[in-house]
Amino acid sequence: MTAAARAISGTGPSRRPRARPLEWLLVHLAFVAVSAFFLAPFLWLFGAAFDENATAYIHWPSAPTFNNFIRIFTEHDFGVALGNSVFVSVATMLLVVVTVSLAGYSLSRIELRRKDWITYGILLLQTMPLSATMVPIYGLARQLGLRNSYLGLILIHATIELPFLVWLMKGFFDSVPRQLEEASWLDGRTKLRALIEIVLPLARPGLGIAAGLSFLSAWAEVLMVIILVDQQSMKTVPLAFYEAMRNQGGYTEVQYGVIAAMAILYLMPVMAVFIGARRLMVRGLMSSTRGL
Amino acid sequence: MTVAGAGAIGPRSTGLGRTLKRNRLYFAGLTPAALLLAVFFVGPALWALGSSFTNRALVGIDAANPRFVGLDNYTRLFGDPDFGRVIVNSIVFVVGSAIIGQFILGLGLALLIDHAQQRGFRAANFVYAAVLLAWVDPTLIAGFLWVAMFDFYYGSLNVALSVFGLGPVNWFGQAPMLAVIIANVWRGTAFTMLIFLGALRTVPGDVYEAARVDGASAWRRFWDHTLPMLRPIAALTLLSITMSTFGTFIVIQTLTNGGPSFQTEVIALYAYHEAFQAHEVGYGSTIAVAMLVLNLAFAVFYLRWSRARA
Amino acid sequence: MNELERMAISRRRFLQIAAATGVVVACGPAATGGGAAATGGGAAATAGKISGTVTVSYPDEAGFKPKYVEQAAAAVKAKFSDLNVKIDLQKINSDDYYTKLLLQLDSNDVPDVTHVSGEKIGELADAGYIEPLDSYVSQWADWSQYSDAVKSGVTYKGKVWAIPYGLDMRWLYYRKDDLQKAGLPADWKPTNVQGILDAAAAVKKSNQTNVIPYALYAGPAGSGGTANHAFVPLLWAYGGELQDKDGKWIGDSPAVRKVMAYYAKAYGDGLSPKDILTATKPWTAMREKVGNGQLALLFEGGWVYGGWAAKDKAATQANVGYVLHPTESGGPSFTVGGPGTCWYITAKSKNKQGAWETIKAVNTKDIVAKLNIEDPHPVARSDSADVAEFKADPYLVASSQALTKAKFTPVDAAYPKVQAAIQKATARVAAGEVSPTEAAQRYTDDLKQAVGADKVTTQS
Repeated sequence: MTAAARAISGTGPSRRPRARPLEWLLVHLAFVAVSAFFLAPFLWLFGAAFDENATAYIHWPSAPTFNNFIRIFTEHDFGVALGNSVFVSVATMLLVVVTVSLAGYSLSRIELRRKDWITYGILLLQTMPLSATMVPIYGLARQLGLRNSYLGLILIHATIELPFLVWLMKGFFDSVPRQLEEASWLDGRTKLRALIEIVLPLARPGLGIAAGLSFLSAWAEVLMVIILVDQQSMKTVPLAFYEAMRNQGGYTEVQYGVIAAMAILYLMPVMAVFIGARRLMVRGLMSSTRGL
Repeated sequence: MTVAGAGAIGPRSTGLGRTLKRNRLYFAGLTPAALLLAVFFVGPALWALGSSFTNRALVGIDAANPRFVGLDNYTRLFGDPDFGRVIVNSIVFVVGSAIIGQFILGLGLALLIDHAQQRGFRAANFVYAAVLLAWVDPTLIAGFLWVAMFDFYYGSLNVALSVFGLGPVNWFGQAPMLAVIIANVWRGTAFTMLIFLGALRTVPGDVYEAARVDGASAWRRFWDHTLPMLRPIAALTLLSITMSTFGTFIVIQTLTNGGPSFQTEVIALYAYHEAFQAHEVGYGSTIAVAMLVLNLAFAVFYLRWSRARA
Repeated sequence: MNELERMAISRRRFLQIAAATGVVVACGPAATGGGAAATGGGAAATAGKISGTVTVSYPDEAGFKPKYVEQAAAAVKAKFSDLNVKIDLQKINSDDYYTKLLLQLDSNDVPDVTHVSGEKIGELADAGYIEPLDSYVSQWADWSQYSDAVKSGVTYKGKVWAIPYGLDMRWLYYRKDDLQKAGLPADWKPTNVQGILDAAAAVKKSNQTNVIPYALYAGPAGSGGTANHAFVPLLWAYGGELQDKDGKWIGDSPAVRKVMAYYAKAYGDGLSPKDILTATKPWTAMREKVGNGQLALLFEGGWVYGGWAAKDKAATQANVGYVLHPTESGGPSFTVGGPGTCWYITAKSKNKQGAWETIKAVNTKDIVAKLNIEDPHPVARSDSADVAEFKADPYLVASSQALTKAKFTPVDAAYPKVQAAIQKATARVAAGEVSPTEAAQRYTDDLKQAVGADKVTTQS
């Protein structure tokens, strides 16, 4: 994460004279407080995941074990959920990348009198809270036969970040000079080939954001899964986690450890994408305003 | 109607037919996205509107024979004392969580980290990463983590308080709204921090130099120079986090599920509870419509403002 | 409607009367009439023709049911070689399961067999989601093993809709060790309702670390327990009723106000923790705490004992006491009865014969006995009580006998909605937002919203 921090501050360390000790102390005291607040829950999570008798307070288990991780696979069918989630997230990502490339490019190049109205309308859609659409999406998906189906999950997850990503891609394509593609049309390329071979490579950061964001949103999103899936075989990771969390343990036992282990596996791909492409992701998430 | 130049490329066309023809490939390129948006964004809004005029239910007689009930659901909504509470809760939550919590903490953190980075304090990067970590983790996990933090008997917060001889505090019993606000601030602060860190970068250094030559104190420099430069972006950030906080669902559901007794029930949760727990999909849809209308008002305001700035 | 309500009433009274005889049958070793020989006889006519796939969907939190469902599935497959049984076990609580099930039933992709509380029969039947079973049970010789009381508990609008495996009953559990440390006897028995609060107050006063005096379920988080394990027994203890003679739901009444005052005391004095109002599934934590001595008093389902016993039977017998619910003035103690969780065939099932065969297989004398030993309930079919193990278990015998003192919750399509109103009302008073009097008044309003103003009455 440190590189991202540097990228954002960007100004280098030497603009002001050296700090006095008192200032150093005050700033670092603030840092300790802030870090404690933001990291404490994660400390607990890691302790609990490796503790078979995890409780709610932060401590490192006296006998760390992988049993919680084993149990989520043997007792909670987590393997099925992982498989479903990987499939749905990757398929969503592919669909989104193709869709927003085409749409962003077309929107950038199309000649209409009220083009800005379309852009405006798309951004308006982006602000629609997902939680407000839970009830109607349920009804709609039921009528379209999209509940308990991969297709339904993929289409709906693809749509969630679509308005923002179309708008984002349009911006990238706007900055690609038209002369480039027009020249390649003269060389005999079709418009689609020109888009793929000439224009898209220039919009690579946008594609990266689209791919990363759509993958993460499909991976992490739970509201839609709650209302779309009720069959065991169609369960994805967020739903498996949601259900395990709401049903901690049996009916006479609370089991934090198992859920903590699930949380870690749920969190890992998110961390991986962030560590791999932090600047793009921060930029993408920031402008989508929705978060995960 | 409009007679424009006959040039090959121009913003004006001489008719719908020609526009369509010239742009047909672009229209084709827009089609998949347009279809998805129409079905899954516009469709639900229309479906909710339609259902809000029915007594559609998940179980019981009304599930077998849903009827058109006219404005019954809307009459009920405006006479529903619980809905009034839900609106008030939503406002308190948004003000506490977005406007006071995330905004002020985010701005403070941005200033702190920016300042520390300029001083060359390496720990700044660590703090930056810590704040970001809370932001990128899925909402569900955030909820789960704070359920444990707030736990009355063994929760880390109460254990920490007991070290100082305080507590234990029954967070969800005595201060449920504060508890859900804390959790949401924890999760959402990074957004504001990132925006302001970006904005601070654009404050030119010579402004400070000039001010320092004038002998202005750090506080004055901040008040007279930094803050005015941040103001336009601040307004937009506020609106943006207000909208995303307005739709918050999972964090509250996992922490208190709206309780105790509606004290943290916000509008998104209420729609869900009425539709899927009371099984009244018609009434739940009515609440969803109300939510969409409120959000639309916010969003139009937001977009007009941001476009005016741009 | 009127006829319907009358039926609900008469059925309820019938249940109360018949429960007594039913239990005598269940407990009397010699009282059963030639059940075992008849097992499976009725199905012979249809045997051999059944093929395809049957999907059995059921929730399970405790882990007792899966092996018996699998046993039953294996038996069905052995009997009908062309029939495949697919088990959809959902490891979630029955509330979450019910919501998911309704969403499924509302679509066309439904399980053939499902398993939810008998309290839902009315609303499920009204929605057209479930299949009446009369034509099936009439051919099933074992149906005679179900007492009339049990049968009427699954009958709605004159039809049988579900097959129960065990009846619900509840106990007031107490931790002997916790009460003793508070200066109360190990064989504590409250003489009246106030006695519960007094004991809780004594536990609180004794300042035992990490011991909660009392858990009184309230609010939506308490789910079905808020009504059946808390509000309803208290209402009955104070001489109140849920419905009047005409089947109207009773809102504000002297008894309801007393119940609300009881809630105000339990929560206001800090005897019951407010976590109950916000926790997801608070009963898991509360049951766990009784099991390990961190909760002194809890009125809960009889089946919960199985969870503690499975973990440590000796310690449970030594430390967990159970008594009936007292009344206001020391009248006869009682318990709350209910139809329990039942097996249903869905109306949209494409393989109802196969579904019925599966239900029969999971409700044999043997499986019903064994399941109810692990997941303790008074058995629904009388011959299962003959099984030696069942008769040898003092807890099961006591639970079965307690049914003679049971008052049953109504079998009425509106009862789930009434429960939701009860949850709202108890939450308000437990959270300290309103006075008991106001809470009782708001209960009337909530009831009117839930079931319609014309079906609600008040008493002063």
